[in-house]
Amino acid sequence: MSKVNPKFAIELSKYGSNDFHACFNCGNCTATCSLSNAEDSFPRELIRYATLGLENELKASLKPWECYYCGDCSIQCPRQAEPGELMMSLRRWLTSKYDWTGLSGVFYRSLSVTILAFVLIFAAVLILADSFAWNLQNMMHVGHLFEMTVIFMVLLVIFIPNLLRMWYFTILKPNVKAHPKIYFIALSDLFVHMFTQKRMKDCETKDNFRWLEHFILVIAYLSLLFTTVFLNWFNTESLFVVILGYVESFFIFIITIDFVSSRINKNKALNKFSQLSDWLFVIWLMIMGLTAFFVRLFIDTGIIENNKWVYIIHFTILAQWALIIVPFGKWTHFLYRSFAMYFSKIKSLAIAQ
Amino acid sequence: MKERIGVYICHCGGNISDYVDVEELSKMFYKEDNIVVSKNVMFVCADSSQKAMIADIQEYKLDAIVVCSCSPKLHLHTFRNVAACAGLNPFNYVQVNIREQCSWPHSDHPHEATVKAAGLIRAGINRVSHSESLENIEIEVKKSALIIGAGVAGMKAAIELARSGNEVFLVEKDYFVGGHIAQKGQLFMSDQEGKDVITSLYHEIKKYPNITLFTGSTIEKVSGSLGSFHIELKVKPRYINPRVDKQTVKSVMDECPIEIDDPFNLGLVKRKVIYKNYPEALPDLPVVDAEALKVFPDFVAKYKSVLNLTEEEQIISLMAGSVLVTTGYDDYLPKEGEFGYKTLENVITLPELNRLMELNPNKLVYGGKEIKSIAFIYCVGSRQSKGENRFCSRQCCTSAIYTSLQLKKKYKDIQAYHIYRDIRTYGKQEVLYEQSSKQGDLYFKYEEKEMPVIEREGKSLIVKIKDYLTARKQLEIETDMVVLVTGMMPRKDALQISELFKIPVGSDRFFNEIHPKLKPVETVIKGVYIAGACQGPKNITESVQSSLAATSKIIALLKKGSFSADPIIARIDMDACSWCDKCAEVCDYSALKMIEMNGKMVAGVNKAMCAGCGICAPVCPENAIEIAQYTDKEIEAMIDGFLAKLEINEKEGGSDSTPKESAIRMEEYPQVWKEILAVMKDGKYTIPQIAENSKLNSELVTYHLMTMNKYGIVVPDGMDDKEMYYYYKENEDSH
Repeated sequence: MSKVNPKFAIELSKYGSNDFHACFNCGNCTATCSLSNAEDSFPRELIRYATLGLENELKASLKPWECYYCGDCSIQCPRQAEPGELMMSLRRWLTSKYDWTGLSGVFYRSLSVTILAFVLIFAAVLILADSFAWNLQNMMHVGHLFEMTVIFMVLLVIFIPNLLRMWYFTILKPNVKAHPKIYFIALSDLFVHMFTQKRMKDCETKDNFRWLEHFILVIAYLSLLFTTVFLNWFNTESLFVVILGYVESFFIFIITIDFVSSRINKNKALNKFSQLSDWLFVIWLMIMGLTAFFVRLFIDTGIIENNKWVYIIHFTILAQWALIIVPFGKWTHFLYRSFAMYFSKIKSLAIAQ
Repeated sequence: MKERIGVYICHCGGNISDYVDVEELSKMFYKEDNIVVSKNVMFVCADSSQKAMIADIQEYKLDAIVVCSCSPKLHLHTFRNVAACAGLNPFNYVQVNIREQCSWPHSDHPHEATVKAAGLIRAGINRVSHSESLENIEIEVKKSALIIGAGVAGMKAAIELARSGNEVFLVEKDYFVGGHIAQKGQLFMSDQEGKDVITSLYHEIKKYPNITLFTGSTIEKVSGSLGSFHIELKVKPRYINPRVDKQTVKSVMDECPIEIDDPFNLGLVKRKVIYKNYPEALPDLPVVDAEALKVFPDFVAKYKSVLNLTEEEQIISLMAGSVLVTTGYDDYLPKEGEFGYKTLENVITLPELNRLMELNPNKLVYGGKEIKSIAFIYCVGSRQSKGENRFCSRQCCTSAIYTSLQLKKKYKDIQAYHIYRDIRTYGKQEVLYEQSSKQGDLYFKYEEKEMPVIEREGKSLIVKIKDYLTARKQLEIETDMVVLVTGMMPRKDALQISELFKIPVGSDRFFNEIHPKLKPVETVIKGVYIAGACQGPKNITESVQSSLAATSKIIALLKKGSFSADPIIARIDMDACSWCDKCAEVCDYSALKMIEMNGKMVAGVNKAMCAGCGICAPVCPENAIEIAQYTDKEIEAMIDGFLAKLEINEKEGGSDSTPKESAIRMEEYPQVWKEILAVMKDGKYTIPQIAENSKLNSELVTYHLMTMNKYGIVVPDGMDDKEMYYYYKENEDSH
């Protein structure tokens, strides 16, 4: 027995546009979506859950993560209820539900809190730089240490508990009985989807170029992370590592520039309704790639000592990225999408058993 | 016995003559003694043939004619007119159907078709030889109409009937006019207030001195028939001295200490014993509930100049040429416990909610608590697959959705849940459904086999449903109030009206029209019409539409001042009849009544009411009843005629060898042929070209052109370029 809660619409509207009161349950969205099958009337079922405010059913569903927003459902919808955008809003809402700190929800819902957090981090960076008497060498050393610490801490304190919560909502609470062996068998799915967005290839209307862009961006981002953190790009003498870093950061800002411009032009269904979190994610990734590129360029051309501001900006962007966007912002979709594929594989194997 | 009979046998352009040997038949009957003329004609219905018949009748002094062609449904009146034009009584004519009954069904057996046709024609000749001359029955119609029920349909009809100069008697059972409409707040689509609509109609009625309005009145007795219905009315008194001024009456009303249940407000509040349904109710004169006031003699004594409890009921007699029944409907009242009605607090019906909204202009309060959410349950008392109400009440979906829009407009913060079986906001009303959806109303669908269940939980109600829009998931809806969207029912006292006027009721217990499409406001009782929701669920628009349809029928009837009825009715042999009541018992039209004739009790036929159905004739033990044109003599002669032995010479070579030389004369051509030939002048044409030029349907052209080809009037002349169609041209030799 589930209780109907019409107030849920108001809460969900804070996570993005939704107009599901326009929906009259025709089911065209389901008919057009390649994710729907005999058991799952996707996305109609989720629209109905959202309309009626059935939060438990929504939390238990992995389906929003499987949707890659091709936009077919929104095109076919005779009432312009934008089912595709509703899935987007649901992903944001789910992110905030998985997050035990509740900060994700706060940042999604409030522009002022987000701006305040960004300003505070900028101030902290300035204070830190000042405490090092603007010594670039020391600052870079601290920056490097910061990166390593934050990666470790975010993983331990935020991501692992949040993924456990996701597992609780989607596997444990709905009473899916899965043998531990299944968790091991399904593991391959997790990594394949994490790095390749393989699921997107199943969509009927697919944009191969975008898929390739996204794939290169993921690889470039992860390898730049590896290059800066573990190969210490800003402080290396190896020519190979230096060039590798240039190439990676080049790809990052070139692809993100394309992403930002398509969000401005709204030329694809998924770019039609950009929220604050979407803008922050692509723009910060772009600036991060760009500033990293210039920091290394200034080092190589020997003008960094006179242009310390480049590193200050890069460090600010990095700190904002690592402390807000990664743990509580859109970055998490990288994890939740792939874990959703992993959990749904576990579910299907468990049912097959 | 008729001595000079004319027989006309039709070829129907081959339709008959291809299979029935019409030439042989016409020769055969010509030999008979009483037959003066026997002809076979290409198209007996053609103008030229009709003229020839008239000439024959006059020249040969024919005293009866038999036309053997198609069904009387097509041409009965054509040949009655031919007879009348020639000075022959139209009832000395008999139609024999040798097309639908011989040539068409027996086209595989032309000889047998001819034999059957001969039998039927012989039967027709025998019948016509016994035929009598009859005259249409003229009935005088009084220029007055009785309308029963002063709701929106009745009031509108009264105005239109009065406007065209008729005397109108408008009878209302309640003390105030308006019916259900006066109880509603705003009405869907026009957003007008129900009581405003009634007020404006009432003021319009008052402009016509030829409308007499009777309130608090019921029909007690009805006699007579179309043209002059005799009606007895019982008019209940208001028990208020009409000479006292309104201000005094009002002060007495205000002072009245006693309150009782208020049926107008559906029991939601109490009303005074001296009352009006609502402050603006019309006629603007309060009514006293005399029974309830009798126990307060002091009060009555104090105001005896105003109150007149000794006033008595009046019986009034009226005469009306026609009757319009617009008695409306009853709201379905849920049974105790049906969806928690009367057993759970805050479960009410939609009409009750509408009254509640009228009584609560600012804040919706029920049972001392403000209502913030409402669940509407649809189809309560309608569309019952097992119950007695199988019909859909058609206006309730829209009514409920409109109410939900009104709720939001009036009280702002209110959530509506619609629990429906199907939504039928048909036509222009569909926009309301969209508006409701947009304002955040939630819709749930249930099936009759899995009805919603309502329970009380603390201060609110819980509706448990299996929602077909959420893959039949079990859902719980917490709500402050449950509103049962009830349908329309036939009025409880409709049976009384039905018995008084003999209006048949359907299996749904609503009044029945003759034909839902072609005679939608007529009843089998001549002169009695029905309109509005008394004949089935309707919204206001549809009620007024049907009422105006009925009104125009009545205006046409009254304007003429008389009614001409077919003389084919029952006749009583006064000597044989001994009034046993058997005929009156079986008569569906109440046309037979006992009358006194020369000191003897016999059956009398009301000529206006009898439909000539014939059901009375066989039940009469004395064989005292016969139906005009269907007398025993006629029927027996027909049977003898059909069974008589016939000698028919079979034509050699069968029917295909219809000789070309039997070409028909130009003046005998039917109109269609003339039109076809007109476009074929000087040249050759294909069928599509002819159809295009003559503006005739191409199938019709094909059929007739083939017949014309057969009779050598046109001939084929090669094919067109695409080898799709033959060219045809006029045959030079045919003239």
